[in-house]
Amino acid sequence: MQILAEAQDLPKTANIKTQLISLWTAPVFGVVLLVAFLAFPGFFPPMSPEMTAEQVAKFYSDHTAMIRFSMVTFNLCGIMLLPIFMVIVVQMKRMATQSHVFAYCYLTAAVTGATLFALADIFYLVAAFRPARNPELIELLNDMGWMIFIAPVGAAVAMNLLLGLAIYFDDGPNPVFQRWVGHYAVGTALAMAPAVGAAVFTTGPLAWNGVISFWLRNGAFTLFVIVMFFVLRNVLHRQAIDEGVAR
Amino acid sequence: MSSTVSTDPSPTAGTVDPARPPRAGKRDVWLVFWIVPAFYTAFGVIFFALARVMPPPRPDVTVDQMVHFFHAHALTIKIGFGVLVLIVGGAGISNGIVVYHMKRMTVGSVMAYIYLGSMSVGALPGCLLVAFSFLTAVYRPGRDPQILAMLYDLGLLSYVGSLGCFSTAYFAFAVAILYDKNEIFPKWLAYVNVWQIVTEILTVAVFVSKAGPFAWNGANSFWLGTVIFGVWLVCVIVFLKKANELQPADEPPLD
Repeated sequence: MQILAEAQDLPKTANIKTQLISLWTAPVFGVVLLVAFLAFPGFFPPMSPEMTAEQVAKFYSDHTAMIRFSMVTFNLCGIMLLPIFMVIVVQMKRMATQSHVFAYCYLTAAVTGATLFALADIFYLVAAFRPARNPELIELLNDMGWMIFIAPVGAAVAMNLLLGLAIYFDDGPNPVFQRWVGHYAVGTALAMAPAVGAAVFTTGPLAWNGVISFWLRNGAFTLFVIVMFFVLRNVLHRQAIDEGVAR
Repeated sequence: MSSTVSTDPSPTAGTVDPARPPRAGKRDVWLVFWIVPAFYTAFGVIFFALARVMPPPRPDVTVDQMVHFFHAHALTIKIGFGVLVLIVGGAGISNGIVVYHMKRMTVGSVMAYIYLGSMSVGALPGCLLVAFSFLTAVYRPGRDPQILAMLYDLGLLSYVGSLGCFSTAYFAFAVAILYDKNEIFPKWLAYVNVWQIVTEILTVAVFVSKAGPFAWNGANSFWLGTVIFGVWLVCVIVFLKKANELQPADEPPLD
């Protein structure tokens, strides 16, 4: 995107630039988080809920360093995914044929979702802090870490349904998003929803290491961030042109 | 809807008159409004009938009785709190529509944003932590009884004893209502919010009191707080509906 020289210092230009910075945090920190994900010794394959307390304790004492590296990285960089969702809020607030109640509901749900996303890594880190603890306590921390990492999809489901509805209701002559983005958001919500089963099932595809709860949920979320990066980049480009700050 | 707009023969369609902001309509506000009673109905069924957190089980019981509580209600805890974790975004929506109407008041945005921030953080101590404590407890029935007893305390103290997030939200809501000249909500609803803050302050005692009116299942901490919360919630839903009805259909979108 080429910012026009005469528009360089205008507030509306800064509005585009700050959104672009927020947008670009997603690929930058997405790569960092991908490294953290690949580095966690218990994701390939994901740890089974059927491991005994002794096996879980041994996992934490055998892999302490990598668990710490991975989860400290999640701790430090996980919430750096929030900016891209805030760009979505700003774009929802540009929708002309609706009241923006969807945008405020989306923002409220996003903050609730972020509190849980920020919490899960702490449980893994506490387990790795003193791996020699009573194995039943390590197992407890591991259970809470996994459950709070995988199961709380409620915020993401609500956010994506709200985004979908907002796009369907944005039916004026200049919609912010193309309509397929709404269908895609609803589809992502449906793909992530079953992962709530991770809080209940200890075996099968809905358990936290299952195909649906682990791979479909995390895959759908990752793909959503990637797709929305490109979608929002185009939306911002169009906003910049419409507002006369770029060509 | 899109077809009616795109075939609109009006000559102004497609041109933007900067002096006249576009009409927002309020079909989206209505859609969001109906999620509020639906969500709180589900919330009530989950907490009263399924998870058995309301009315809360007693704090003054033995470890064996706490273990028995989890064993006796394992299935309904899994169903109830599993559903809660899935639909908890409904809390964000219920708070978001209050934020939306607070933004329509004549009092600036700060109180709406305080409400948004404190309520969205409050979902974690206020209902998700008890959900995950209980779900973790029933996930492995064979856990050490002392661990189950700790999860019992953690869940119930966080649920009944999450105070500050909601006090801050009620404070912002009350101040906004009192200063608002658009009469989005009636002035007396501000004082219901003040009652809510009073009950939160009185509930501080749950962290030291293991029996009696100030314990987490007590007449003061639980019943008074719950009754006033119920009154507050019914009022908020009724007046949200009224605010929707009174809102002009040609009001522009919020800033």
